[in-house]
Amino acid sequence: MSASLARLHPEPLPLCQLPAGESGRVRALSGETAFCQRIREMGFGERAFVTKVGGRGPFICVVNGCRLALSHDAAACILVEPTGLRS
Amino acid sequence: MSTTSSPAPAAPRSAPVYALVGNPNCGKSTLFNALTGLKQKVGNYPGVTVERKVGTAYTQHGQPLTLIDLPGAYSLAARSPDEAVTRDVLLGRRADTPTPDRIICIADATNLERNLYLVHQVLDLGRPVVLVLNMMDLAAQAGLTVRADRLSRELGIPVIPCEAAHGKGLIELKLALSRPDLPLPRHAWDIPAPLAPAVAELQASLSAHEGKGPLVARAEALLLLTDPDPVRVAGSTPLSAATTRILESWKTRWTADATDSSGMLVAARYDAIGRLAREAIVPPAAGTAANPADATLALSDRIDAVVTHPLWGWVIFAGIMAAMFLGIFTLAGIPMGWIESLMGWLGEHVSALIPPGDFHDLVIDGALAGVGGVIIFLPQILILFFFIGLLESTGYMARAAFIMDRVMSRVGLNGKSFIPLLSSYACAIPGIMAARTIEEPKDRLATILVAPFMSCSARLPVYLLLIAALVSSDEVPLGTQVGLMLLMYFLGTAGAFAFAWLFKKTLLRGAPPLMIMELPPYRLPRLRDVAWQMWERGAVFVKRAGTVILALSIVLWFLANFPKPPAASEGEPPVDALAHSYAGRAGHAIEPLIAPLGFDWRIGIGLIQSFAAREVFNSSMGVIFAVEESEDETANQSHLRDALRGAARPDGTPLFTPLVCLSLMVFYVFAMQCISTIAVVKRETAGWKWPLFQLAYMTGTAWLASFVLYQVGRALGF
Repeated sequence: MSASLARLHPEPLPLCQLPAGESGRVRALSGETAFCQRIREMGFGERAFVTKVGGRGPFICVVNGCRLALSHDAAACILVEPTGLRS
Repeated sequence: MSTTSSPAPAAPRSAPVYALVGNPNCGKSTLFNALTGLKQKVGNYPGVTVERKVGTAYTQHGQPLTLIDLPGAYSLAARSPDEAVTRDVLLGRRADTPTPDRIICIADATNLERNLYLVHQVLDLGRPVVLVLNMMDLAAQAGLTVRADRLSRELGIPVIPCEAAHGKGLIELKLALSRPDLPLPRHAWDIPAPLAPAVAELQASLSAHEGKGPLVARAEALLLLTDPDPVRVAGSTPLSAATTRILESWKTRWTADATDSSGMLVAARYDAIGRLAREAIVPPAAGTAANPADATLALSDRIDAVVTHPLWGWVIFAGIMAAMFLGIFTLAGIPMGWIESLMGWLGEHVSALIPPGDFHDLVIDGALAGVGGVIIFLPQILILFFFIGLLESTGYMARAAFIMDRVMSRVGLNGKSFIPLLSSYACAIPGIMAARTIEEPKDRLATILVAPFMSCSARLPVYLLLIAALVSSDEVPLGTQVGLMLLMYFLGTAGAFAFAWLFKKTLLRGAPPLMIMELPPYRLPRLRDVAWQMWERGAVFVKRAGTVILALSIVLWFLANFPKPPAASEGEPPVDALAHSYAGRAGHAIEPLIAPLGFDWRIGIGLIQSFAAREVFNSSMGVIFAVEESEDETANQSHLRDALRGAARPDGTPLFTPLVCLSLMVFYVFAMQCISTIAVVKRETAGWKWPLFQLAYMTGTAWLASFVLYQVGRALGF
């Protein structure tokens, strides 16, 4: 993602705080093991690219071409490094 | 690891057993229906309410083969009971289901990488696998080129491109299934070094103590490391003590030195999958490289922007619900007329065949009237199932769960609990079964406990009858009917939410669940699949009417007619004979309990009998108020309604006043009156504790609500 160069090493932030329409790269997961394992198994693990499409309570995200709904608390467990707007 | 060293299993028996596995929403049911057609049996895995579908398919050469449709799963490391069934059948842990000889994996080509995760786990098992790449057309639309031949070369197994929805690729699949010599997968991947000794030790123990073959033992060993809190379901063979001990000691060691075994294994698997995907998938040409599936997403994005909008989402949701219930009332009228005519015709002919007497009455007033009074609602139930099927197959259902998440989280549940509750509008049994996808056991239990509050189709006949009796004019305005009906549905829903909140605050206290749910892309509904599902569920209802309801109707008739009054003289009013019967005595016995709700002993009979099944209320009112089966084709329903309006208390005042009708309806909204639901809850929660608790708290709520309504109504002069 070349867009990431446009930003000066942005701080990782929880997915729930990523503005809608922006993309990011998953840096770390927190929360219970079973939850972390399942989201990794769904291709949402470290290094995955995620785009937040929208939503305000539960969020809609796109990972690897797949749309996922995440509750606010679930999104708070996923730390992402913003890479800029969706192409 | 490489499996080429082990010999291929002996040629399968006469009808080899195939298991069909895949992620949710990958088109597995469509493929199963296309392969088996009408030759399928739907049942349950013993001990769990997970639907078990087994069908017979034929190869291109006409050889029969048994096909087991396993529940959709993202991973063999199960998080919910239905995933646990998939895992256990594949690992040969279930005594009630044969270990499949061969496995058909179905993967969504538009989202291949994630779908390959499960495939990769299945390949570990070392059994012959056929991989079906479904939705190749959608992948092509998204600009993706999926090279089935390369994937086949890499994995050493047949890989069949397919469009199950259009029947494309089925012949190729059947040809692959007919091959007597399916090769074993060529499947090699690197297990992270720190975990390898543990895998080896567990594998040895599983071979020695569980009697597993080397490859299955290895697959199971890998799985045990990523099954942090293994979901054990009834019917699954437990691990031996030796293996459990080894697993525990490794886990303790990893906790001490902070080794994330689960994370390492998943990452290693995804590394291997990434290499496969790079080989097999040619992404679209430059320009949209950031997200290959953008093209298909664009449409879903636009629809989602409206459908999940904080305001418009709710407007659309309310509109769909209103259309669904209006449809039930307006569209069902015509087929209901046909059923009425049919039942009238049947009654007439049977009546002519049997000489008058007890047997005549038993058949006409007991069996036919009882079954007829229930089967008449088949059209409404079919329409309800049609709508639910439509919502599921278009992908809207997941969005409904999405917008409901905020409401559900207020009561401590998440959006996933909404689908079981919505299904419970049709029937609590599929609703409770749908709760199996909820991962958190406490949330699952809370959902199961409140699901029967949602007004099910069995309450519909009761509401319809009482609303008809309540609104005094013959020309019942549709608006009033629908309004009252919606009020009942609303009351039930509000009760479900209130109790869910209460349970999550007290008995089932737990952290708010973390929801992650796939939103399938919007698709045009597959009408054939919707009709299929409607047919399947309608058949269950008809079967119930033909068995349980028929038996109950006969029992009810007997109880309401025997023992005969001592001196049965001509012209004696039927009420006295009824009072003397078993049913009458039972009604009298509970009268003191229900009199504060405005009910007399005759309604009491209906209430007692409704504990078997709610819709029995109508047939029992028919028997009690001696509604004659009509000779012409006028509706039984209006006869029954007139009979209820004419019913009077001993002092001559009408029995079914509007207030009594309302109080009765409210009772039906809240009371737990369904033996089948109690049985399912018992099976689901593995014991009598929760179903009995549910019976008590729901019926107690019903009594209290009716009591308050009736007493306040009386005080206000109604």
